[in-house]
Amino acid sequence: MGQLNLNTVQKFYGTFEVLKGIDLEVKNGEFVVFVGPSGCGKSTLLRMIAGLDETSAGDILIDGKRVNDLPPVKRGIAMVFQSYALYPHMTVFENIAFPLRVEKMQEDKLKAKVENAARILHLDQRLQQKPGLLSGGQRQRVAIGRAIVREPKIFLFDEPLSNLDAALRADMRIELAKLHRQLKATMIYVTHDQVEAMTMADRIVVLNAGEIAQTGAPLELYHKPANMFVAGFIGNPKMNMLPVICKSVGATGVEIEFQGQTATIPVEGRAGLVGQPLTLGIRPEHIQFGAADLAMTIAPSVIEHLGAHTVAYAAVNGEGENFCAMLPGSAAIRTEETVPVGLNAADCHLFDAHGIALERRLELGDVDIGLLNAGAV
Amino acid sequence: MSQPLMVNRYRWYELIGIYAGILAFLTFILAPFVEGFLVSLKPLSQLFSSPYRFIPQNGSFEAYRTMWVSVPGFARYIFNSFFISTIVTAVVLMLVVPAAYAFARFKFRGSGHLLGAFLAVNMFSGAVLLIPLFRLMRSFGVLNTYFAIIVPGVAFLIPSAIWLLRTYMMRIPRELDEAAFVDGASHFYTLRRVILPIAMPGITVVAITTFIGSYAQQFIYALTFNSKTEYAPLPVGLFAYFGRQEVIWNELMAASFVGIAPAMIVIFFLQRYLVSGLTAGAVKQ
Repeated sequence: MGQLNLNTVQKFYGTFEVLKGIDLEVKNGEFVVFVGPSGCGKSTLLRMIAGLDETSAGDILIDGKRVNDLPPVKRGIAMVFQSYALYPHMTVFENIAFPLRVEKMQEDKLKAKVENAARILHLDQRLQQKPGLLSGGQRQRVAIGRAIVREPKIFLFDEPLSNLDAALRADMRIELAKLHRQLKATMIYVTHDQVEAMTMADRIVVLNAGEIAQTGAPLELYHKPANMFVAGFIGNPKMNMLPVICKSVGATGVEIEFQGQTATIPVEGRAGLVGQPLTLGIRPEHIQFGAADLAMTIAPSVIEHLGAHTVAYAAVNGEGENFCAMLPGSAAIRTEETVPVGLNAADCHLFDAHGIALERRLELGDVDIGLLNAGAV
Repeated sequence: MSQPLMVNRYRWYELIGIYAGILAFLTFILAPFVEGFLVSLKPLSQLFSSPYRFIPQNGSFEAYRTMWVSVPGFARYIFNSFFISTIVTAVVLMLVVPAAYAFARFKFRGSGHLLGAFLAVNMFSGAVLLIPLFRLMRSFGVLNTYFAIIVPGVAFLIPSAIWLLRTYMMRIPRELDEAAFVDGASHFYTLRRVILPIAMPGITVVAITTFIGSYAQQFIYALTFNSKTEYAPLPVGLFAYFGRQEVIWNELMAASFVGIAPAMIVIFFLQRYLVSGLTAGAVKQ
């Protein structure tokens, strides 16, 4: 079992509050990703769960048992470090065997375990080599192997792929996802890379400035971000934010005015919004050529041709800049040439003056079959 | 790549300047050794010939044989020097390795002050403290023993050894300690299985400097705290070649060269552990 509960976990450095009361429940076998900008406290939180950093206040429970004062090895966790932290003077075999040697395990049992781990990670041919001879991906696999042999309840990964190049990172993402299915263990994974978060997680925890900004399945965060921070953080390129005014709140949604045009955005309205300034969020990939529910013109200042897509950075109706539109790869646009674009009300997000989202009227089951099933259970 | 890097390319006059500089300094460093060696080859009579000749005529290694005869205890002095330095080095390493690890890794109250104090101790040479040390040794009743030469040697060599090794250990990535800690290893287990092997080049440097330092400084303690010839180390033993009437210079020089040979051999063997790149592959840098 590998159930983890965090009850108002806090961390202070002196008087500076790094983590402001984190509440979280991680179910057994879940793959949870902590994601957030650097300095948001995600690594600190992981190190506190690991038992490397002390917890200032609150409880950390693993399988219902408070582990705040236990050393890492007694918590039943294993950790994979960003920098691999391999022992350079030991062979791959000895590196993987290290935790078992600490336990003083019998030689034949130890050998079987290490070889099993090596087989899972395709390191069978490398066991007698030193880490210095291995590639980055192989080194990271050795580090994972050292975590596997302990058969921990919870695996902790601290940005394990950020030192690898892009192609290798994609491969390792797939391997880690497979490994998770194979081991059926609880995994907590810290990254600043939203692609890693979106692709591997069962559930993503977005952290911002020491607080949980939102917790949810990847597509839930994408389609129903709870606030402007999550909306801007998840999705690449970033969501565009446009200032609008609330005209009325009705049964079908909230009617807004944007530069003289009105549209009804299908979100849950509430009283007291009329006349208030709101922020309309629209993802670059939801912007299309030609007029739609809302129309505007853009004059791109920079155009990036990515093959599958063309990304244009532009001013909207001659105002502002860095409005981003992701258009088809074949889009016939040129810099400084004005093109009409539009967006559909159904794709829009609305945020109030505090940056809190008005919930979109969208059944998540329509966009994520996995969530539909999860809801049925 | 056999071609030198662009950064290492010099013009001809720069090269001449560099080699001229090297030559000037090497002359000052090596000339006494060369002269000492030449003296050891000359018969005694030729040493005071006028005009003085640097190159020995009918030079021989005769002094290297007679030195053992004129000072019969010489082998014992070499052994003493070697013995004292080895013990000093061993004791220093045993104390300094855990201490340096602690200073490099743990935060504890007063660690900065302690390190500062070590540096301050280094500023006193042993000579300043000879009198108090002598009284101390006398009241303990350990004058005229190996102990009296070894203990002050250890004490005065520890501070610089801690500084040296601490700096080296601070360069070992902290993640290695953390990884071992997560895997359940105790501090001593981590030190023994992880840190020690990786710190080997640093430990070797400390061993060499300590050995040399002890070889050089034991003279002053041996002279003050010891009056028995059987415990005298090499530098004191060399005095035996100073006769009442004359100094047997050629044998003295020969004995000096023979005396430093064991130290050279030790250093030669130790430097094999000075391998760089031992941490390759530990962490991504």
